[in-house]
Amino acid sequence: MAIERGIREQFDWGLFVVVCVIATIGVVNLYSATSSLAGARGELYVQQIYWLALGSGVAVIVAAIDYKYYERYAYVGYVGSIFALVAVFVLGQSIRGTQRWIQIGSFQFQPSDFVKLTTAVAIAKRLSMDSHVEKWTLRDLIAPGLLLAGPVLLVLLQPDLGTAMIVALVSLTVLALAKLERRTFWILAISGIVGGFLMWSFGLKAYQKERLTSFWDPEKHKLDSAYQAVQSLIAIGSGSVFGQGFMKGTQNQRHFIPDPFTDFPLAVWAQEWGLVGVLALLGCYLFLILWALNIASTAKDRFGSAIAVACAGLFFWHVIFNVGMVASVLPVVGVTLPMFSYGGSSVLTMMIAVGLLMNVSMRRSTF
Amino acid sequence: MQLTGRAGVSEFRERIRWMAFVAVVGVSLLAARMFFVQIMRGEKYRREAEENILRMISIPSTRGIVRDTRGRVIAANRPAYNVYVVPRWITRRMDQVFPKLAEYLGLSRDERDRMEARIRSIDGRRRDQYMLVRADIDRETLAILDTHKDELAGVSVIATPLRTYPFGTLAAHAIGYINEVSAEDLEAHPGEGYRAGDRIGRMGIERAWESILRGRRGWVRVDRDHRGLILSSREEIQRFGADRRQDPVPGRDLVLTLDMELMRATERAFAQRAYPSGAAAVVEVRTGRVLALYSRPALDPNEMTMGVSLPRLRELSNPRGTRPLVDRAIYEMYPPGSTFKPITAVAALNAGVIDPGEQIRCIGYITRGNRRFRCAHGHVHNQVNLESALIQSCNVYFFTAGEAATMNRIHRAALDFGLGRRTGIGINSEAGGFIPTVEWYNRVWGNFRRGYTLNTAIGQQNTRTTVLQLALAYAALANGGTLYVPQLIQRVTAPDGSTLQEFPPTVRRRIDVNEGHLALIDRALRGVVADPRGTAHLVDMPEVSLAGKTGTAQVSRTLREGEDARLAADHAWFAGFAPADNPEIAIVVLVEHGGSGGSEAAPVAAQVVRDYFTRVRPGVPIESVQRANARGQRDRARQQRARVAPHRRH
Repeated sequence: MAIERGIREQFDWGLFVVVCVIATIGVVNLYSATSSLAGARGELYVQQIYWLALGSGVAVIVAAIDYKYYERYAYVGYVGSIFALVAVFVLGQSIRGTQRWIQIGSFQFQPSDFVKLTTAVAIAKRLSMDSHVEKWTLRDLIAPGLLLAGPVLLVLLQPDLGTAMIVALVSLTVLALAKLERRTFWILAISGIVGGFLMWSFGLKAYQKERLTSFWDPEKHKLDSAYQAVQSLIAIGSGSVFGQGFMKGTQNQRHFIPDPFTDFPLAVWAQEWGLVGVLALLGCYLFLILWALNIASTAKDRFGSAIAVACAGLFFWHVIFNVGMVASVLPVVGVTLPMFSYGGSSVLTMMIAVGLLMNVSMRRSTF
Repeated sequence: MQLTGRAGVSEFRERIRWMAFVAVVGVSLLAARMFFVQIMRGEKYRREAEENILRMISIPSTRGIVRDTRGRVIAANRPAYNVYVVPRWITRRMDQVFPKLAEYLGLSRDERDRMEARIRSIDGRRRDQYMLVRADIDRETLAILDTHKDELAGVSVIATPLRTYPFGTLAAHAIGYINEVSAEDLEAHPGEGYRAGDRIGRMGIERAWESILRGRRGWVRVDRDHRGLILSSREEIQRFGADRRQDPVPGRDLVLTLDMELMRATERAFAQRAYPSGAAAVVEVRTGRVLALYSRPALDPNEMTMGVSLPRLRELSNPRGTRPLVDRAIYEMYPPGSTFKPITAVAALNAGVIDPGEQIRCIGYITRGNRRFRCAHGHVHNQVNLESALIQSCNVYFFTAGEAATMNRIHRAALDFGLGRRTGIGINSEAGGFIPTVEWYNRVWGNFRRGYTLNTAIGQQNTRTTVLQLALAYAALANGGTLYVPQLIQRVTAPDGSTLQEFPPTVRRRIDVNEGHLALIDRALRGVVADPRGTAHLVDMPEVSLAGKTGTAQVSRTLREGEDARLAADHAWFAGFAPADNPEIAIVVLVEHGGSGGSEAAPVAAQVVRDYFTRVRPGVPIESVQRANARGQRDRARQQRARVAPHRRH
């Protein structure tokens, strides 16, 4: 097929290289992070390599199938992921009081990770389907609003505040492509502020509030909710310019960082490689996000552009929340660092996003 | 293949540019935050990271050893083996480990249940810390625990230094003891490096010389993990440099002037006569060195150092009990009784109001106002001069002499001899004693009466001295009038035995007294023992020529119901020196409620002196002993012929 040959010529090396770099230093960092652990947890970096390999395979498949099929079956995927979220409550395992996981064989996965993409893709479809040139009014927002509300509420019920936030933010990023009527914009802005206030006052439990606010002054909460944040800050700060060296980060080696695989691997990285390492990693992410946005702005159609924006949003919000959490500027909510954190669902989701980006990127100039 | 019916991507582009802008700003803010944390606050967090993984462990210093003048150990350290358990570890296999531990420790069923309950009741962080279950196990138990250590997971035996006092109660007041610092101590000694769990000197030399004996603790910073478990190995710790490790500085040792053999002899002399309480002091006449400082009954510093229970402490400090904590040699004050008469004699001679050769007539009493002041036991001494009055302890003579001298001159002479003032021995709280004056009686008792002077002249009523004060005063009488500061510490030595500081004898003052007068008094004091009329003639012995004065301190005490009648009996004194013609030591013995000085205190003193010259220091004084003996016999034969005061070096 001529198209297929064209596609091969359009392979996005920039995207490929930056993802490889991030994933590689992620594995290297995990090797250090798990080096002091005994038993199975000491082998987590190998698991991560498996996940990355599996993720790459999935990404190739995702990239190979023309995304017009995704547009066609977007709602199917959406409904499927909603079922998975419901299934969590039926089949799921309760870990530390939350139901997030489904066990399939030896594979535990977290449907809420995939929902981030399926919801955004559904909304992207809704956005690109819209043919009229008028600006959006409130009525136009009802459908995407409902699309979004379902998964967000289900995830909140697990409860998983961090993931719910990411699901919402990624989809809202896609929606931000739509042009809103001025009145609509103001209504949304004001109701957003009021809603947030009401949520804070009545919707959150005390411990959730404390979790959300303790980051402002982590030293004060040294032994309870902000222990992780404090130890993470100590790890980062003690890394200084060049870091303490690979495998030499004391905070990790002596187990002061509570979760050095999924939530706080950056703290390990920052202590061992210093500001230089941190800036290099942040540079990679910024490059990846801007690259994705570039793909979006040069995509051949609105759906392609919207799903590229969704992927950019997915990376962006994950980076913002994870780094913000690790550096104590945002509350500790379990949000991973894309391709860097350990975790099957997380890695697969991110690699699917990479596959989607590659898909859109390769089909930019095919008419 | 342009898709129709759809708006193009172009209208997204402006939004996407905004998004790119937001992404750049967002990531830059994160980078800025990282810069702030890693560069601006890097130093602070580096310190915190270091504190996280390092734990300061202090290494105790070993306390200095205290030896007597011949190098015999009085206070030292020995390892005590304490048994600890880590509750979290042992409770994991409580059923297997604990019964064995209880068996090896030889616990009764009751003790065992209590200990088990205690271990199980520990919670929180303390479950990971060592908990003491048995202190100072004996060697046999240690061997058993060591043999079975594989069965005893979670049980550790740790050696810690324990202060030990081989002589037990002997010289306990002077040596003192140590025990754990209290919260008040920690507050009272800020910046001196004391910590909870440290030991601190509580009494005697242990307390007064704390800073010398204690040494300085060392420390080592070891690696630890997030649970606080220590990761550094013993070998690693040994290799640590100065930034991670500082060795402790051991305390310095002390060599005392005390002679524990003499202390033993003193103890024996009291014990053989079954005197329950009393005190004695032996000082070197020409140095002021304290050879014996004895107080009976005494505490056991070994018991006190291990820590005593509150009921036991109450018993020890009960004012109606035997009061073993009270140092009767330097803290308790007694009226010196007739041992004070030489001082009255000095006051009268100095004032020139008596002629030592002049005889006065004793009819057994004199009358002042409407009171008769009597000689003891109704004695009538007839014609007495100074010498025979001292020998026979005639009160009437000293009433007359004291009255002529006046109370304030007696006061001045007493102070000259160091009575009524602290001696400056430098341990424990020392009593000052008290010598009254006319002004004092006027102020406190309203008005002065002539009879007060009479009582003071014979050392009764308000006159108060300590045993040690009197010993130094008699040393001054014997050495020609030099009052020494009593010396207890001979030198400070390093742990390797080298001398760091040597303390020479310290003269407190040269007493303003005519040597001829002193010689006269000394001859009379020799007569007290040697003369058949002497109050202490009973203890005259061929081995050593003892000189001295007996005394009886009046006790005016109304007995409470059920109290031992003995407690109303007078205290018996003997104060003297030996050998009489070339004095080396001065000795004072007080037998509380002993009654008569001549029959009770003098035999104790004589036995101590004899032991000193014949057993404790054989060889050293033999020549003078023989000379003294020979002379003693001659003296008796010649019946108190005047002797020239021969060797007065001072």
